[in-house]
Amino acid sequence: MTGTNGVVAEFATWLTEFLPDDYYDRYREYRWDLDLRRGYQRAAFEAGWLQPTWPREHGGRSLGLADAMEVRLESAMRSAPKLPNIAGPGVVAPGIRQFGTAEQIDRLLIPLLRGDEWWALGMSEPEAGSDFASLRTRAVRDGDVFRVKGRKIWTTQAHLSRWCTLYARTDPDAPKHRGISCLILDLESPGVTIEPIRMASISDETFCEVILDDVEVPVSNLLGPLNGGWQVAMSSLNHERQMIWIMNWVEIQRGLDSVRAAETAHDDYTSGEVFTELGSLLADAEALRATGYRSLHNELAGRPSPEADILKLLGSLTLQRVWELAAAATGPRSIDDIDLLFERQDALAATIYGGTSEIQRNIIAERLLGLPKG
Amino acid sequence: MDVGLNSSQLALRDSVRDVLRTECPPGVARQAMTDPERWRTVWKTVVDLGWTELAGPAEGDEGSFSRVDLAVVLEECGAAIAPIPLLSSVGLAAGVLRVAGSAVGEVLDTIGGGVVAALAAHPPGCRLPGVPMTLQGGRLRGRAIAVAGLPRADLIVTLAASSDGPVAAVVRVGDGVAVHTAECTDPAQPVADVEIDAEPVVTAPVDVESALATPLLAAAADLVGVADAALARSVEHAKARQQFGKPIGAFQGIKHALADNYVALERARSLTYAAAARLDDPATSPAAGWTAAALAKAAAAEAAVGCARTGVQVHGALGQTWEHDMHLYLRHAWQGAATLGDSRALYHAVGRRVAGGTA
Repeated sequence: MTGTNGVVAEFATWLTEFLPDDYYDRYREYRWDLDLRRGYQRAAFEAGWLQPTWPREHGGRSLGLADAMEVRLESAMRSAPKLPNIAGPGVVAPGIRQFGTAEQIDRLLIPLLRGDEWWALGMSEPEAGSDFASLRTRAVRDGDVFRVKGRKIWTTQAHLSRWCTLYARTDPDAPKHRGISCLILDLESPGVTIEPIRMASISDETFCEVILDDVEVPVSNLLGPLNGGWQVAMSSLNHERQMIWIMNWVEIQRGLDSVRAAETAHDDYTSGEVFTELGSLLADAEALRATGYRSLHNELAGRPSPEADILKLLGSLTLQRVWELAAAATGPRSIDDIDLLFERQDALAATIYGGTSEIQRNIIAERLLGLPKG
Repeated sequence: MDVGLNSSQLALRDSVRDVLRTECPPGVARQAMTDPERWRTVWKTVVDLGWTELAGPAEGDEGSFSRVDLAVVLEECGAAIAPIPLLSSVGLAAGVLRVAGSAVGEVLDTIGGGVVAALAAHPPGCRLPGVPMTLQGGRLRGRAIAVAGLPRADLIVTLAASSDGPVAAVVRVGDGVAVHTAECTDPAQPVADVEIDAEPVVTAPVDVESALATPLLAAAADLVGVADAALARSVEHAKARQQFGKPIGAFQGIKHALADNYVALERARSLTYAAAARLDDPATSPAAGWTAAALAKAAAAEAAVGCARTGVQVHGALGQTWEHDMHLYLRHAWQGAATLGDSRALYHAVGRRVAGGTA
């Protein structure tokens, strides 16, 4: 316990020193400040706060899971700057550490963790969204290279990224989950065309379409086993899923603050139902945190932690309800509140990325409750 | 923050579950609805096994069971819809006395020994629990409604306003205590209104929020158990029942409703375990403890009612029959949901506090 408090206090002090003095007064501007966010990632990497459970050379300080969670929650509660390319440290880095060769780790991990090189996730295709395993992009072995043909879409930040974890079919005859491989694609390779897609909101997590026309990827860029892409994807996303609830939780806290602030602004309304919904959302927020702790507790004791599977679904739905309540509590002033517009739009993405709510419900029903597949 | 059960609590859970599986299958609740003495045999087992000792002793004393232990046992009794007054006596009535100091130690011991107590905490005309009585010149007076377990109780614990501030008071059922029993939603767990004009056995000053926190937590644990059991029954049915050539659980309409039930259940369970740990922590302020327990109770009632209602839907016409168990879960859930504050009232109270900056 003292260890935890000591580490969290150290992190808190470090964060205070890093942040500009007017960070909280001008959070609305700073949240879009890419230089600040890049600087934060680099500094967090160097100080060992980026991935606290990892060793020093990989941006951590070898903390236990419990301490790491306290640090992440503290970071969340303090609204630490959002990493500018969350897919890199959040999804790709755990995959590279788990599946990468020594050369891949040497070449790729540090620039990724420092934020010098951004990463995109080459997963979705026009015909393969939730049904990711039905992807059609083909990679055919030709000597020392794979020749890749296909099309990826909704590929966040591909236009700003140097690398992409590209999932492609390497065995068309195998069952669909077993014929996919993960290739590390240099987005500067000939034959790669990247088209950004205009977003409905002011989000800086821009989608792209990535067209792959006979692109050569060295065989040495295979990440994980040949035809083992499904495991690489699931394992990487699982890592992300454990982080998503904390991200949701922070944003929920910010939304709750916004409800509280808005609530005092009206004099023609007694606010009864706003209070009721607020209480319910406070329960959701606390349930997320408590479930996160419960699942950690079980994990540390070597027990299964099925309750962790509610975190993504509950966190994303709660986030949407919080911002809808903030809008209601703001009244007609919500119409010209462009920050609020962005929050509401952004929250709608939460039930889609990292596995839609529908997929989450299928997972809960089939894997936890044991109901038959449809 | 540590949320969850340690290995001895898991062992406690398993042993309670095993006993109830043989001593108290769901059909016992149905029998108790028509046989007013049916609860006694189960109660004797429970008392003999020492489960009532979860009542106390008072806070801070050696050997006091933790509230997590209490929650574990009540959750299992809820899952078994055991028609016994363990929740009302050990969870609600003793829950108040736990924070009332050494003056009530003897009463706690009595409850721990199996004497049945009930908590009168609903002032007429209020959705939230509060202080229904007054204490003046050594006399306890007032009215309370929907007192859980009162028809089976020998003692009543209540909260009273006095010139020295709020007190917890204990009276014996008897002279000066008028018990009005009527039909109720869950006849396996009878309730009654009460009118008191009597001299209390003992009184002790309490903080009202602290006094109500453990009862709220206890009610939450019971309802988490109900939710879990009702969901398990629905899942079982959804796997077995075939329509259109496959189990109905293969259809997303059913599958997703049950997945949502699971989320509601685990949301409530997490809040309940977290609230129990918080109330066991002496550093928790009364307001923070009440808030945690109130949110757990609100969430657990939503989960229990949601799982039981979905259960009726999933079971179709079968779920509307007396012989099927689903109405037993639903009755228990509905009644528990209305006890100590319905979910909306509790959410409202917490939301108002937080918006007003008083929590």
